[in-house]
Amino acid sequence: MGRESHKMKALSLLRSRICDPKFIFKPLHDSPDSNYSKLKFMMSSSITEACNNSILLLGPRGSGKSAVLELVVGDLLVEYPDMISVIKLSGLLHSDDNCALKEVARQLCLEHQLQFSKAASFDDNSQFMVAMLKECGLAHKTIVFILDEFDLFAQGKQRLLYSLLDAMQSITSQAVVIGISCRMDADQLLEKRVRSRFSHRKLLFLPPSMEDSKSILEHVMSLPVDSSLPHDYAVEFNRKVQDILADRRFKETFNKYLNFDSSVKHLLRFLFCAVSCMDLQTGFLTCENFETAFSSIMRQPKLECLKNCSILELYILVCMKRLEVKEQTLCNFNSIMKEYKNVHDSFRTSDYYARNVCLKAFEHLINRELICFTDNRGHSSSVEFRPAKLLISSSELHQGLKAYHSCPAILHKLMDREG
Amino acid sequence: MDKEQTPKIARRTTRSLASASTLDNALTEVTNCASPPAINHLIVEGDPDVDREGTPQIPRRTTRSLASASNSDNVATKVTSIDPPTINDLLVGGDPISLDDLISTFPGRRNQVLELVRLLGPLNSPILPLFVYGGPSTGKTSIILQLFRHLNRPLVYSSCSTCYNQRILFESILNSLFLHRKSAANGYSNAKRCERPSDFVNFLREALANLINNLKSNSEKSKSNKMEARGTGNMVYLVFDNFHLVREWDKSSTIVPFLFNLYDLLNIPELGLIFISSTSPDTYYANMGYVEPVPVFFPDYTEDNLHQIFLRNQANQKLYSSFLDVVLRPFCRITRQVDELFATFKSLFEKYCEPLSDNGVVPSEDMKRRLFSHLKPHIGSYLNEIFKVSFPPSLELETHKETKRKGNPKKLERYEEIEELEFHMSTCAKYLLISAFLASRNPATLDDSLFDSTGGSNSRKRKRKTSTKVQEQKQSAEEELLMKGPGTFPLERLLAIFQCIVSVAEDPSDEEDQRNDGLGIHGGNGGLMSDVLLQLSSLCNANFIIKGGSCAIEGSTRYRSAISEDLALKVARSLKFPLSKYLYRR
Repeated sequence: MGRESHKMKALSLLRSRICDPKFIFKPLHDSPDSNYSKLKFMMSSSITEACNNSILLLGPRGSGKSAVLELVVGDLLVEYPDMISVIKLSGLLHSDDNCALKEVARQLCLEHQLQFSKAASFDDNSQFMVAMLKECGLAHKTIVFILDEFDLFAQGKQRLLYSLLDAMQSITSQAVVIGISCRMDADQLLEKRVRSRFSHRKLLFLPPSMEDSKSILEHVMSLPVDSSLPHDYAVEFNRKVQDILADRRFKETFNKYLNFDSSVKHLLRFLFCAVSCMDLQTGFLTCENFETAFSSIMRQPKLECLKNCSILELYILVCMKRLEVKEQTLCNFNSIMKEYKNVHDSFRTSDYYARNVCLKAFEHLINRELICFTDNRGHSSSVEFRPAKLLISSSELHQGLKAYHSCPAILHKLMDREG
Repeated sequence: MDKEQTPKIARRTTRSLASASTLDNALTEVTNCASPPAINHLIVEGDPDVDREGTPQIPRRTTRSLASASNSDNVATKVTSIDPPTINDLLVGGDPISLDDLISTFPGRRNQVLELVRLLGPLNSPILPLFVYGGPSTGKTSIILQLFRHLNRPLVYSSCSTCYNQRILFESILNSLFLHRKSAANGYSNAKRCERPSDFVNFLREALANLINNLKSNSEKSKSNKMEARGTGNMVYLVFDNFHLVREWDKSSTIVPFLFNLYDLLNIPELGLIFISSTSPDTYYANMGYVEPVPVFFPDYTEDNLHQIFLRNQANQKLYSSFLDVVLRPFCRITRQVDELFATFKSLFEKYCEPLSDNGVVPSEDMKRRLFSHLKPHIGSYLNEIFKVSFPPSLELETHKETKRKGNPKKLERYEEIEELEFHMSTCAKYLLISAFLASRNPATLDDSLFDSTGGSNSRKRKRKTSTKVQEQKQSAEEELLMKGPGTFPLERLLAIFQCIVSVAEDPSDEEDQRNDGLGIHGGNGGLMSDVLLQLSSLCNANFIIKGGSCAIEGSTRYRSAISEDLALKVARSLKFPLSKYLYRR
């Protein structure tokens, strides 16, 4: 039991590490030119010098923008207690200006133990925000606004951004606005009046290089030697991890995976799957775990979907493909049925079913999203007449038919003929 | 098999009724015991929930609705008592189930179950969002729910088909997280009013913080007294079923990326998210990205899997197995969905057993051959009617209606309507239907010649002339009919045709009381004409006639008939109306 439990503990530890972005990005910030140091310098200088600032953090999704910011803010909160209050907004939630200002007011009230009124109007809230900025400025307290998904705030009339940045123009206020976006052109989305008030500081977050990814992996996967875990177990575990890292097969898989998308979040997903594959009997990671993880993440949904199809559904797909090759402008159920009948007439297939059965198969295909209607009229006209199109490419269909173990030979022939 | 099936279904309903109508468990147990001995082996299995979940033969919708109610099952039974809901209500009810039992209840799903177990991990270990996907009736929901029963961890299940918009989804999740139960005392109100994602996130944070604290203190307690062998852990899992429906909610939406990003937004490691969808992850196009969740794929059942599934809970395993050997292969060429096959196999098995006097007999090779030759002629016709089973007016109808709803409601319902047409339609509506059909099928220019007795010869003359150009025209017109479907027509034309065919039809009929002169006929027409617009609108509502947009030039609304020729002929036959005479054949 004792041995089992420490393996379990190790597994839990690894999983909680992977799910904790702060842990992942911690080792990345020692160097002076890392984004962490830059951001921290910018923010701490605007806190200590009591000035206004605005920064954009740009980079692909999952490259650790928010995680690094979180780390910086956490550190600053420790360094300058009672000098910062943080307001967090997300474009996904607060892209509506009204709603965003309300949220700002709510968080400000929460921070300063004030009574928050739900009924307050946009004007009230915006006046409240300006007043609070002034008050905080007088008290030498910096308000940090974090705007996640910054590009979504730039969608409408940008009233929030305007009132925020406008309030920051006065010397009395003291605030830092930090926008996070995965759109590189996020600052181009701003209106002129907003852009001119924005100080164009940008920090670019790049996905880690192959070496960095490896060091992240090592950092995440190595167990602490000096913890409650048995010492020799942890040492053995770390040795195995090193072995895996040196393995040629693993390197191939790892490269293949990172070629697809090298962002940190994507890497973590891979590690999560690998860790969850870990055999609790032995309690060690193996190379196979990573390979299983690779195959379970890198799926080919369309081919899987084709494998699920019944023979009749394959017939319909092939008929649609033939129609497409014939360059018919429009294709709907009726024309497919005509083609299906033609195929049957010329080849005498054993799979000839009644119209309503085919219609149902057609609907299955729609549900599988292998085909879709091209009009969006909804239920106004009946299914038979609505134009449809294939959602898979010819090569995918070819591949799918080849992989289908009991696919009738006639279908291959029909596909090849069109080539 | 059939005899056995019916009481099982009946029992099922009693259970669902019981859970719905706040009867207590004791009463359901009584009904269980009183049920015929045929189902005893299910009870002997000891675990009503296992058989409820584990019989994929029963159309899936029922099992799902029951399964989703599994925590409300507890709730309903407890309503009579006053004690407030506890965290235990978030656990999937029922006796503990071992992993081996779980795997054996779901034939062919071993890999998926094990993969899910691995991903969910040991107690109190955080998890990245999961994305479970696979075709309909592949056991996604049942396996997840049963797995949580096995693991004994709290989950909040919400199906996006019952919670059909954002607000209802949010509120139902919050209700279960706040351990809030709608009742007469609180006026069946929700725990929180919540419409926007921003409010939802705030409330969710609050609720989860409370709940997780609760869970933590609970697990501390159970650790100290060691009474409970199975701790519930600190994790809370949110399950979103039918997630593919969310895409429809709001076309230019942020709701899909919002829910996918929920994990990052909340940043609570104790939260697990599981999305269940019937379409693959690549069908979730969004104009803004998200870090994709970890995929878990449920493939459709293979033929062997289906064999095992259909053999479950059969009285005579040998006999049914030989039946399946015969029928499974041809039917699998059409569909491999359990719910659809189930309906057909049921009646087909009756056919199969017809020559047998005793259904309990173990079939010999010779008998198998005999039975096969008996069945063989029927297979072909059943293959072509696989989705067109005529249902006996029983409880089953209910369940089938539900399965149908998800497919294509229009098409299937129409089959039913064909059977019941005679009873539901007035004569006027039938005439209206026919005239709409004619108006859609025939070109408007021919109305004159078709309905005017003097014009008939004209059209015939035209028909006889067939030059190549006419032939071409004919072909293109045919193509057009195939592509565009029936033509549209204004209301005036419909009414004119209606008037004509009613007068024609009533003229020669001898059974009709008022024949004689034109005046009398007019009187008769008046009766039929009186509520014709009312009938028209009801036909539109029933989707027999489709009301299109108004034409820009003419400005009037145009209609289009949606019925097939078969149906039109059937209606005409019931009226003894010579429809084919009026159909313009190209």
